[in-house]
Amino acid sequence: MMELFVTVFSAAFFVTIIRTTTPLLLATLGGLIADLSGALNVALEGMMLIGCLTAVIVSVYAPWYVAVAAGLGAGALLGLIMAFFAYRMKADIILVGFAINILATGGTVFALALATGGDKGTSINLQSKAIPAVDLGFLSGIPVVGPTLTALLSGHSVLSWLAAFLVFAVWYFLYRTPWGLWLRGVGEYPAAPEAAGIPVNRIRTLSLVVSGALAGLGGAQLAMFNYVGFTRDMTAGRGFIALGAVLLGARHPVGALLAALLFGAFEALAVVMPGLFNDIPAELIRMIPFVVTIAALVLFSIRAQRALALRGVK
Amino acid sequence: MALLEASGIGKVYPGGVVANDGVNLVIEPGEVHAVVGENGAGKSTLMKILFGIEQPNAGTLTLDGRPVSFANPREAIDAGIGMVFQHFSLVPSFSVYENVVLGSEPRAGIRLDRDKAIAEVRALSDKFRLKVDPLPPVRTLPVGQQQRVEILKALYRNARILILDEPTAVLAPQEVQELFVAIRSLVAQGKTVIFIAHKLPEVLEISNTITVMRQGKTVGQVKTREVTEKSLAAMMVGREVALRVERKPTDQTQRVAAVSGLRVVNALGTEVVAGLDLNVHSGEVVGLVGVEGNGQAETLEAIAGLRSIVAGTITIANENATPMSVLERRGLGLASIPEDRIAQGLSTGSTVAENLVATRLNDKRYVRNGLLDLKAIRANAVRLIEQFSIRVGGPNYTVGTLSGGNMQKVVVARELSEQPKLLLVNQPTRGVDLGATQFIWRTITDARDAGAAVLLSSADLGELLALSDRLLVLYRGKIVAAFINTPDLTPETLGTYMLGLSTQTADEMKAALK
Repeated sequence: MMELFVTVFSAAFFVTIIRTTTPLLLATLGGLIADLSGALNVALEGMMLIGCLTAVIVSVYAPWYVAVAAGLGAGALLGLIMAFFAYRMKADIILVGFAINILATGGTVFALALATGGDKGTSINLQSKAIPAVDLGFLSGIPVVGPTLTALLSGHSVLSWLAAFLVFAVWYFLYRTPWGLWLRGVGEYPAAPEAAGIPVNRIRTLSLVVSGALAGLGGAQLAMFNYVGFTRDMTAGRGFIALGAVLLGARHPVGALLAALLFGAFEALAVVMPGLFNDIPAELIRMIPFVVTIAALVLFSIRAQRALALRGVK
Repeated sequence: MALLEASGIGKVYPGGVVANDGVNLVIEPGEVHAVVGENGAGKSTLMKILFGIEQPNAGTLTLDGRPVSFANPREAIDAGIGMVFQHFSLVPSFSVYENVVLGSEPRAGIRLDRDKAIAEVRALSDKFRLKVDPLPPVRTLPVGQQQRVEILKALYRNARILILDEPTAVLAPQEVQELFVAIRSLVAQGKTVIFIAHKLPEVLEISNTITVMRQGKTVGQVKTREVTEKSLAAMMVGREVALRVERKPTDQTQRVAAVSGLRVVNALGTEVVAGLDLNVHSGEVVGLVGVEGNGQAETLEAIAGLRSIVAGTITIANENATPMSVLERRGLGLASIPEDRIAQGLSTGSTVAENLVATRLNDKRYVRNGLLDLKAIRANAVRLIEQFSIRVGGPNYTVGTLSGGNMQKVVVARELSEQPKLLLVNQPTRGVDLGATQFIWRTITDARDAGAAVLLSSADLGELLALSDRLLVLYRGKIVAAFINTPDLTPETLGTYMLGLSTQTADEMKAALK
């Protein structure tokens, strides 16, 4: 047990949390934007997964940033497809979302087999690249806190820094710019922006495109930094955890960050624990993030209902 | 020269419904122009065409003598036309100023310039005497103020012509007067107002010119000072109408429903019914008067069993109905005509026949051995369509294809096809044309005459005064005044209590509380 504490309070564990949180956070921000525009993006999972594979395959032939952009683009394209079916063809958005998820599960395996020449499990025989880590080694020159700062801040993916910036950017966009006002208006009461001459459907479509782009970016981080290479179903429910994180974060960017950190921390725990507890099956430990997701959502819902009950609503 | 002129406007909806057929409208600058007509007369369609929401199939629009066409509301707004819909287009959680500037925000770089937005809203509200604080979220404002926000929205976009779609439908009499003050101030400052309305006395009070529509056509355009309420009504309906119902003397001694100490809390935790006591006797109509949102709807829903209560007891036909389900309460003889026929009263995707038996699915006549008796259901529908003169192609037409008045008739037919002991009615004629209104009033009164206890809520004071034996005024979930309905009781008297400007003492209310 002691070992666990030592591990948890180490700088290395902090770095692990940031690593596990980043893809989740990107997907959560994507979920948040879709949610505030009035669409429950259940396809985050599939968008992430396709983002993973696209990034991996492109990285074999192109520099890492092109691969990241390709992952982002794949997600955005899926968002556009979702918007087309949901808003233009008037299909049920949840069903469209699940269609994308199913397409992603089967489609990635099929594309993987084509790209690797038959391997349906991993991209191990593809020379895929990784996203570079940002080296802040120069910080250790600072007296006293320097080494600690370096240990905490150095070695994170470029996308981790980008994700942190995006929390601020999304907040600024939503609450300080006119377009954020439009987006929130469209999500809450579309008749109002409609009457004000705001192109409601274009905003909904763009929101899904951005939502998909963020999920795709999360996928790129997952397959080019957290793991290098693609494994079938490697997103392992992160898209759905992100959906939960949107709610748990009270539909606010900062809340989304905190919720993603919470889930990221438990995922990090699941990463380090198997090495420390040999007698607990690793599969059981890997369940932790999902159990925490369910528990957190149940608690959140109980708390919300209790708050209502306190005010006398049944 | 006319400011805005529509000539020969024709509009056929994809379903083949002819909404406008050769409609003409001439709006002079600086006037208040009322457009009146029954529901389904095509007023709304015409306004949607003027505002660019719908595109006409025929006809031309000219603005300042130049032909124009609007592909969408944005183009109409840019041309100086603003519209305030009957259902407000406000985002509830946004503040007043955010709602006003939405879509045309003042910017500082990529940022929304909040200070400038607030200052501009303040300036507009002072200039046009539309008093409203720019900061609070609109959902916390009373309806009258929300409407002002809507008008400010249009003015902020430099509207020269303001279309108001049934603006008085949701207002208390005093609020209507405030609105009229604002309209006069708008006209005095050079704006032109197009006013769509149902209530003729208001039209006569505020407008200079009136265009009457009937069945998609313009019947005529008249100067307000040259017409009377009666001649207008005749133009609208095409025949003389008497909006009055004869009520028989009934025995009103037997108590059918009693509510005591009722408390209801809404989803936001606000107390909407705060300790309500009332009795309803057989053979009487008790009218619940109040500005919308003062607990009338919640009281009716609580009695019907559609809303959970915090405290109190509800007795129906001498049985404690408080713990009973909706179905058990209906078993005691309760019938209910809900406020929103589309959301609560009907299944719009189902057929008329299905809707007419929807509350009787444990009735052996329609369901045997767990299977629907389609023949009996059809026969029932044929009978009720005839009896309630519902205009529909047949029992198997889906309810969604009917007009508002006929939908409401389906609800009324279902609830009143058997004589109820207690009838709850909320907004029975909202958005219903004069002919159907007359019919629905007659039907409710017949139920009363036959011994039903009726509890009625309506936003239309005329309706409450026409139908009720007693009137209870609700303000913030409490009864603040009670009256026995007499011919000298006026809307203005009720209005002072509705707005909470005065309250009767317990002694004053006693006689009318029974």
